[in-house]
Order: sequence, then C-alpha cells, then structure tokens
Amino acid sequence: MLSELDSLKTAALAALESAQDESALEAVRVNFLGKKGSVTALSQGMKDVPVEQKKEVGAKLNEVRTAITEGIDTKKLALQAAQDAKAVEGIDITLPGRPGSGVGALHPLTQIRDLAIRTLRRMGFALAEGPEIETEWHCFDALNTPADHPARNEKDTFYLPDGRLLRTHTSSVQVRTMEAAKALPIRIIAPGAAYRRDEIDATHLSVFNQLEGLYVNQDVSLGDLKGTLEYFFREIFGPGTAVRFRPHFFPFTEPSFEIDVKLEAKGKEARWIEIAGCGMVDPAVFAEINKARGDTLFDPDTTTGFAFGLGLDRLAMIMHGITDIRHLIENDVRFLQQFAA
Amino acid sequence: MQVSLSWLSTHLDLSSYTVPQLSDLLTFAGVEVEGIEERGVATDKVVVAQIQSFEQHPNADKLSVCQVDDGSGALRQIVCGAKNFKAGDKVPLALPGAVLPGGFAIKEGKLRGVDSLGMLCSGKELGIGEDTGGLLIMAADSPVGTPFNKLNPADVLFDLEITPNRPDLLSHLGLARELAALTGLPLKGERHHANASTKTKAAAEEQIVIKAAEACPLYTARIIKGVKVGPSPEWLRRRLESIGLRPINSIVDITNYVMMEMGQSLHCFDLDKLKGGIVVRVAAEGEKFLALDGQTYELKTDDLVIADSHRPVAIAGVMGGEETGVTEGTVNVLLESAYFAPSGIRRTSRRLGLSSDSSYRFERGIDPQQVQGGSELATKLILTIAGGTAEDLVQVAGEAPKLVGEVTLDENRARKLLGTPDMTGDEIHAILEKLGLTKKSASKHESHWGIPSYRLDLQRPVDLMEEIARVIGLDRVPSRQVAVASPVEAADRIYDFAMNLRQSLAARGFFEAQTLRLIADAQLADSLGGGQGVAVKNPLSEDHTTLRPSIVPGLVATAALNIRQGLHRLRFFELGRVFLTLPKGGSREEERLAVLLSGPVSPTSWHGREPQAADIHELVGQIQNLTRTPLEVRPVKENGANYLLTSELRAGNRILGWIAQLHPARAREINARHPVYVAELLISALRQGSTGPTKFEELPRFPGMTRDVAMEVPADLPHAKVAAFFATQKHPLFVGAEVFDVFADPSGTKMAKDRKSIAWTLTYRSAEKTLETAEVDAAHTAILTALEKSLPATVRR
Repeated sequence: MLSELDSLKTAALAALESAQDESALEAVRVNFLGKKGSVTALSQGMKDVPVEQKKEVGAKLNEVRTAITEGIDTKKLALQAAQDAKAVEGIDITLPGRPGSGVGALHPLTQIRDLAIRTLRRMGFALAEGPEIETEWHCFDALNTPADHPARNEKDTFYLPDGRLLRTHTSSVQVRTMEAAKALPIRIIAPGAAYRRDEIDATHLSVFNQLEGLYVNQDVSLGDLKGTLEYFFREIFGPGTAVRFRPHFFPFTEPSFEIDVKLEAKGKEARWIEIAGCGMVDPAVFAEINKARGDTLFDPDTTTGFAFGLGLDRLAMIMHGITDIRHLIENDVRFLQQFAA
Repeated sequence: MQVSLSWLSTHLDLSSYTVPQLSDLLTFAGVEVEGIEERGVATDKVVVAQIQSFEQHPNADKLSVCQVDDGSGALRQIVCGAKNFKAGDKVPLALPGAVLPGGFAIKEGKLRGVDSLGMLCSGKELGIGEDTGGLLIMAADSPVGTPFNKLNPADVLFDLEITPNRPDLLSHLGLARELAALTGLPLKGERHHANASTKTKAAAEEQIVIKAAEACPLYTARIIKGVKVGPSPEWLRRRLESIGLRPINSIVDITNYVMMEMGQSLHCFDLDKLKGGIVVRVAAEGEKFLALDGQTYELKTDDLVIADSHRPVAIAGVMGGEETGVTEGTVNVLLESAYFAPSGIRRTSRRLGLSSDSSYRFERGIDPQQVQGGSELATKLILTIAGGTAEDLVQVAGEAPKLVGEVTLDENRARKLLGTPDMTGDEIHAILEKLGLTKKSASKHESHWGIPSYRLDLQRPVDLMEEIARVIGLDRVPSRQVAVASPVEAADRIYDFAMNLRQSLAARGFFEAQTLRLIADAQLADSLGGGQGVAVKNPLSEDHTTLRPSIVPGLVATAALNIRQGLHRLRFFELGRVFLTLPKGGSREEERLAVLLSGPVSPTSWHGREPQAADIHELVGQIQNLTRTPLEVRPVKENGANYLLTSELRAGNRILGWIAQLHPARAREINARHPVYVAELLISALRQGSTGPTKFEELPRFPGMTRDVAMEVPADLPHAKVAAFFATQKHPLFVGAEVFDVFADPSGTKMAKDRKSIAWTLTYRSAEKTLETAEVDAAHTAILTALEKSLPATVRR
C-alpha cells in the first residue's frame, strides 16, 4: 500500500505538471482527490490495514494528499500568473496616446488679455466697457481733443454716415464710466477693440485690441500711477524687469508718459521697448465731464486721476516673439496650436 | 525732424556730452529719438594723404602697395585693395590708432606679408557717403596732412519726434534753448533779435493790405533790391544737406536755413513779377493757384492767400506760387515773415492734401515774437551772401498776438499731483526759472509766473506741473500702491462667464479664432441670425466695409484659410461683438459666441481607422454640453442662401441662437471635404440660464425601475413635442424619460416614408420605498395612455 501511494503521488504530480489550464487542474483533483478519486479509494482501504501499520500508512496518506493539494494550488497560481502576463502581451506601450477629441487652444490675445486682467484685478480694478461705435464727443471732445486735431479726419478715423465713428481708442470708456459714475473712487480697466484707418501690414491692423485703465479719486498722484504700472509690468514680464517712463504728450492727460520695458530678445542685447501710454487725467477732461453730467462730482480742484492704455496685440507680439501682426487675425491652426495651454 | 549736432553746437557747447547721453537727455525731456546717424569722423587721425607711387603686391593680385605722403615728411607704406586712384591723387588716410565709424580700429600690420601702416579710406568707411567702389578722391587743393575732419566736419544727426504740444522745439535754436535749460549750459551768442541795418526807407508801406486780420494778425515785408542770386556758399549748402534739404539757390536756401535755425517760416517773392501791391485775403471760391510744386490747386473761401492785384501768389503759410518764386534771374525780392493762425493753415493744408515744412510749423503754432527776428536774420544773410540793399522792415496789421500770459502755481497742488511731498519751493522755482519762466511774485505756497512767448503750451497751472514732472523725471517720484476694493461690475460677470465658455470649448478641442470685425459685403451672406450689419462711410478697401452682424462669416473665412493649408478637421469658435442696424436708425452692439465644426469627430492617429465625420447632431451635442440646458432645435422657414437646416436653438422661451449647415454649394467654394456646421449663440441669453449658486437635491435612497416604449409617429413630429410631453407628466412615480433609438426609412420599404419609429426609456422611482413591479406597470400604462391621447403616436405593445 505504501508503494501504491508513492506511485499515485508521482502520477498525480506528473499530471499536474502537464496540466495547461484550470479545467485540467480540476480533472487532476477529481481523478486523485475526488469522491471516486484514486487517493480517496486507497484511503477507504485504511480499515484493512494492520494496526501496527496504520500509523505509517496514515501518515503516508496525509503526505500524498497534502502534496497533491499543494501541487494543485501552486500550479493554479502559476497558471493565473501566466494568464495575467498574457493580458498585456503585444501591447506596445511606447506608442503615442489616442487623441480623444483633440487639443484646442485659447487665442494668444485672449491669454495675454486674461493675464493682464487677472493682474489688475488683484490690484482692485473692476472691468468696464463701452460701445465700439461712438460719438465724436465721447471719443474726442470729452478727451480734450480739438475739433481740428489730425486724428479726427476721415483719413485716419472710420466714420458712419450718421456722423458717429468707430472709436479710435478705448479711452472713450473712461468718458462713459465717468459720465455714469455715482461716486468716487473710480477704478476700472476696459479691454476692447479700437479702430484706425491703417492699411493692414506686418505691424498694423485696422482693428486692434487695447486695454484701458482709469483711477480717479481725491489726491491720486503720479506716484500711484508709477507704482501701479511698475507692479503691473513686473507681474507680466518678471520681477526684475526694468520699467521707465518717458515724458510724452496726449491731449487727455497731463503730465503724460510713454512706458518702456527693457526686454531681452533671444541672443540679443536687452533693449527698451515701448509698451504703453499713461498720464494724469487732464483737468479739462474733468471739466467736460462735469458739464455733461451737470454736477461737480469731478471737481477739478480736488479730483485727480491717472489713466493708461496699452496695445494688447503688441503685448502679445512682444511676449511671444511674433514677427507679423497678421498672424493674430488669420487664425491658422499651425499658429494657434502653438499656444495650447 | 532731422537735427544736426554740429548745427546745435553753434548755440551751446555740448562737447562734454556723449551721443548716448544727449539721446537720453532728449528722451527724458519728452523728445523721442527715433534714429541717430553718425557722419564723418571725429578723430584727428584721419588725414589728407597724397599717393606718390604704387606697385602690384607681390603675393596678391588684387592688392597694391602704395607709398603715400602723410604730411610728416617721410613716406608711409600702405597696402590697398582699391583700383580707382592714380599717383598724385589726394585721399583720406586713417593712421594707426584711428577708430572709424562702426568702431573699426586701425592698426599697423602686414597684409599678405607686406607691411601696411594705416588704411586709405572710401567715403563710406568715413561715414560720409555711399559706397562708390573705391577710395574717396579729394579735391586737388586739399592740404596734405590736414585732419580730414577739418575739411569734412563730423556730425551726428538725430531724427526726433517732436510732440504736437512743443512747436517751439521745431528748430535748432529751440532745441538748443531746451537743452540749455536741462543742462544748465549757457546759450552762445546773439539771439537773432537785432535789427538789420538799412540805408533805404521802406517804400512798400502803402502797398500791403491785410483783409483777414484774424487769420493773419501779423504780416511783415521787406524789400531788398539788387541781389545776385546764385549757388549758396559751402557752409550753407552743407547745413541744409546735413538735415536732408536740397540746396536750390542762395535766397531760397537762406529762407530754409532761417526756418530750421529758428522756426520762422519765410517766403521770398520776386518783386518784379508781382503786379501791384500785396493783399492778404481769403481766396475766392474756385480760385486757381499754381504752386511751386507744379500743381494747380482750386481754392475755397476758407483758404488764406497772399495775392498781388491780379492773382494769388502764395497759399499763406503753406506754399508759394510758381510764377513769382525767386530764380537765378531775380534781382529784387520781397521777403515775407508773418504769423498765420494755426487752425486756418491746418484746414487748408488738410483739404488740399498739401503739407510743407512751413505749414507743419504754422499749424502747430510759432512764436509771434520771432516774426521780426526771422526777417532780420534772413535780411542779414541775404545782404552778406547775395548782396543788394535792404529797405526798412514794413510791419502791418498791428502787432504780434499775445498767446501766452501769466500762470499762478499752487505749489501744494503740484506736490500732491506729482506725489512728491518733500519738493521744496526753491526747487520748483529753480526748475521753472531754468526753463525760461519769469517769477513775478511768490508767497508761501503760491508763485506767479510769466511765460516766455515761445511756450505756447504753458497756459494753466497743470501745464507748469507737467514741466516740473518732466524735469525731475519719474525716478524722483516714489512709487505708491493703494489697493482699493472695487465692487464687482456687470462687465466683470460677463467677462468671467465668457472666459468659462472659452475655456470649456478649448478643452473640447476647439481653437479660438479672432477675426476682424470689419468684413466685406460679399461675406454678409455667410451671416447667421438675420441681422443687418453697420456700413462704414469711409472703408479702407472693399474687404472691410461693414461691421459684422454675425461672427460666422469670419469663421467661414478661417475655415477656408485652414483648408487651403490642407486641414480638413475644423473646430473653431470666436467670442466677440457684433453690430446690428436698428430698423428705426441707430445701432446695437451685442456679444456672441460662434462655433464652426467640420470633419472627423476625432483626429486621425496610428490606430489607422478614419474616424467618422461629424454630423450636425455632433454640434448640437457640443452646444448642449456647453450650455447644460435641454435645447430645442426648431427649424426656421427661411434658410438663407448659404445655408441648409437653419434652426433656432431654444431653451424654453429663450432664443439662445442659431445652428445650420453651410450649403454644399458654399462649402464647395471653400473646398471643404466634409459638411461644415455652424452655430451662433447670444451671450446674454446664455447668461440668463445661469442663476446663482446651485441648490443641492437629496440623492434617491431607493432604486429606480425602467420601462422602454417604442412608438410610431409622423416623420415630421419634432423631438421637442415628445420631450415636452414627458417633461410635463406629473405622475408621482415618474422621474423622466430619454430617447434611445430613432428609425426612419426614406426609401419606404421597412416603414412608410412619412412615419418614423422612436424608442424611449422611462424611469420610475419612489422616495419612500423600493417599488413593486405591479406599481411600475400601472404607472407606465397610465403614461402610455396619456401619450397616445396627446401625441399622434402608435405605441407598440
């Protein structure tokens, strides 16, 4: 009987060795350990074994049963492992991903405008807006621009047959805002389109984008203007950026300045790049607004303010090194996808 | 304006300033330096040399070995590559140690083994001319050994942008005056105010009449007889040429010189060609005038002219006449110096499209006090250069207008505006005084100032504050930041809403476009939404005539451009303003969002399968996901020529916008490979749908059960009708329904052509318990009965 058990064990282990899947394993279990299995059959002969051998045979029987059970478990794990490994067989993980619905992008002008707006909002500016079709008064007269000023003729400004015009700058939003204001302070920014009768070329568009800012209160000073715009441009171009204010002339601010920032182009010496205009609101503007409102909210003796305007197209070109402004209106996907965030 | 440093230096000694320092000085005075050109050489180490002999270089075909006389007594050997010289020629020689324009340093050295102790130079190498392909051959009488810059003085030319408020800087004297103020350097010499000495009493007095005193408050004339007109002397020609003016003849050159020297524009008439006396009057309507530029101008009663008894002889302050100009044959001249009011000159110059250095100055405003001085300086120069005898100056129309007065400065206001509380009264006074203002009186915080006649821009206290700011510069002003909280404005909410839409679309694979708001008439047929745009009166070209009534035309053009680049999967959006003409006149501006979609639903990739092309439902779905409101797509009666399937997009009673398929004929025009779908949405309508923070709804605690229903309905029954039926069912167990299948057979074989089969899944649930099958069945039957009653539907049971 002992030798029979040994040969059963050998046979069972051999059968396990050659089993290729779970069902073959199950067959081995049934053949040897099942109700009618050969090990089960032998164990039923235990009762006929002489008493002095019972202990030895019993131990043998357990040994054989354990060996087969463990063999089955081990083989089962091995088969599972082999199958799991097969699950990723043939997958070339180095391939690129599926594109889904693809990658879109915000227009670079939107991105730069949003950066500017987020920065200025942190400083407490709220947004304002106004119509792009404007009256001459809002675009020029209220902004201290004389009737025979060169900018007002039909060579430089688009007019409608009814005498209105397409605003030549977003500064008209300053006027709209002050006209409607209930109280001071006024602290607004106004992004928007403006129009000039320029032939479209590498550096000019007839419709372009500006960002206007206005802060009016008692005792706003040149120091406020400087502090605000220095902070703004350092947020946009980096903390160490040099900013300088050059005296200039605009009809609606006095004193007026143009702002340059010192920027490095790749591999070139840093140079000053003109980026914005600004100044202290001219008292003549306040006087004109008061006249239109019929009150003295903007008392020129106590009220002061600063205003600034910058070209967003130009800012985007400087920021991204764009060489031709027409890229900004052509919307070639090869251009747009370079700005996918 | 071109400004010559050597010319400026006749007024003040700028030798202690480098060119970059001067450039900075001007820049921070508010004068933009647009260009700097250095001409000639400043170094003494370029001298006149004479070539004594030359021979072929032993080791180089193209080089010669020259022996030159540099004036030192000994011959100097120079290797030279030019061929345009002969022995005896005088040429510029750069000695070792010389630095030429562009920083090129000259050293002793060997060229192909032969010693070369300097360099013979071309004009270009010395910064005084174009490349002529060889050495600059100098005049035969040029003295050997003389520094080149003694014969051709070095100069630096600044191209300056003078802002319109500073006409006083439109001359060398004016700029010198400004630089003197900023640097503290003294102005040299006379200021051109002395009277020219005359021996002859004026005879012209009665012959000059002013009939338009407002436009011409001051007119002076002087007759100079017996002049000999010829070429100007070297110094005068060089001055004019240095700033880009072409010398003509001595008289004309002198008037140009005086203009560039002191800003006074003059005109000289040939006295013998004038018929009768001078009249300053407005032109007759339609009067013709032949100007010096050879053009004939038709004048209006708005234009001021200088006339003789027969005809206009000059458009005042703008241009003289061809027939009475000074020529080589002129013997007697009438020299005009006047003040013309800026607005008239500006009007005439603009209307005629005729502008000159003279009109440029008059329309910005000249110093009335310099009118006489300009005449005096010109007279003096004419007498010196062209000879003749001058009569006394005749001055008519009273006196120079007084354009500036006195200004009182509240110094505390100035300190506040500038943000410089520590600025002392003395400092303020010193700044204004050095700018030429005269302190009339001063108390503790207030001072009273006389303004120089040339500073037309200083009229108000704030103008003086600007001067102070300009002089101290912003470096002196401490930066201040006062953040003040601002309440959120309507514009902020709109901006944030629009930005969310933009980001959602970009995340869904759409590219944001920005197209021009001015579009061509031909593009209007691509518009969606039915509005009429706003036409511009003076468009630049027929490509940009009208403010767009819709964004879609721009997106169609964008699609066309990208198709030309070979792209056929197109996904674009643009968010921006459109312009609508109102029926009763006037216009309205509104913000819209347009979307364009064409081609495969996803980009092609290595999987090799071409993804299916999007259909119009893809675009509806995208909009649905964007707006997160159930959309009703309601076809409209009029498609528009360029569209099919044009439909309104509605949410309840609100029109959100429009959707359509670009007509295949139009799609073929832009070579689209796949159908092109477009939509345009109204931002204001979209925003109405989003109100306040979301209210949380309790999650269902018990499972729901579903029942499907299939029904046959007329093919033209809109989805919205069925959806509306389900949406209005009030059965307590009914939760909602969703369509999951639509079948129609246009061929009529499997189902009648005018019928379609639709299938919906209905969900039932109770908030209190798990439902029994029988309860659900009862509810379902009730709903189906109602369905057949309210809709032309046959339920398949």
